Amino acid sequence: MDTRSLGMGTATMPAENKQGPLTETAYYVLLALHTPLHGYGVMQLVDEMSSGRVNLGAGTLYGSLTTLAERGWITPVAGVAGDRKKEYVITDAGRRVVAVELERLEELRRNGHRITKGEPR
Amino acid sequence: MKVKVVRRLYWDFEKEELWLNAMAAKGQALLHYSWGTYRFEQSRPGEWTYRIELLPELASKPASQEYLAFMADTGAQTVATYLGWVYFRKLTADGSFEVFSDLESRITHYKRVLALFVSACAGIIPASVVSIINVTRGELTLGFVLPLLLAILLSIAALLAAQAVRLARKVRVLEAQKQLFE
Repeated sequence: MDTRSLGMGTATMPAENKQGPLTETAYYVLLALHTPLHGYGVMQLVDEMSSGRVNLGAGTLYGSLTTLAERGWITPVAGVAGDRKKEYVITDAGRRVVAVELERLEELRRNGHRITKGEPR
Repeated sequence: MKVKVVRRLYWDFEKEELWLNAMAAKGQALLHYSWGTYRFEQSRPGEWTYRIELLPELASKPASQEYLAFMADTGAQTVATYLGWVYFRKLTADGSFEVFSDLESRITHYKRVLALFVSACAGIIPASVVSIINVTRGELTLGFVLPLLLAILLSIAALLAAQAVRLARKVRVLEAQKQLFE
């Protein structure tokens, strides 16, 4: 029996909280795909959401879409016949990843505000 | 339409890209590239922005074609392909045109170009060394032709090696930056 696991008790976190930070690209692509979009639509929406700060490169976006689809966090939408532009949409697994990331971002923001405003620990 | 033909050889794809964009700024838009031959058509100055990318596979492969179709959907036209290299252009009026927008994908691309130069070098050097040994042993005599050919091959290998060193340095700088930023 592994005795180390006994002492951990409350320190053991649910597996989901151990999810590493998402890249800005992955996070924004997952947000954008809460409605089905094709690649160019994602680029435009992310540009708009970030007030022009995040200009996704098409090559970077392509890699991100491919990896997110492989992970099952987004999925291609069955398109209209004859339309070769592939649309993607976020999956339930993708939504869970975003929820965990949002919590992490909230923590960063909270701590950032608290400490830079000179409040005690 | 007036077509301008320029013959040039670039070892550095980023310098080549700068040159193509300088030409485009002057109203000479690249229309076709093949074996060091660039064909330009006249356009409005600065109408197009050019970008060069090395794909993981030959441009003719299905995976590459799928990628080029995706790029086309985002407004990036494929002007020319050359082995794994692609020349893209996008209307400058459609906004800034960068193929890569984060450090990770830029590093991956530089590493791909680096690997190409290293493997080209690795192909040339052993072949040259074997030939030199054979010549010095007197097993292979082709008068002055072979030494000349060898000199050319080794110069190319040296140029490729210099490029590889330059790219490796770029990768190192970006990886250090990645310790802090995306």
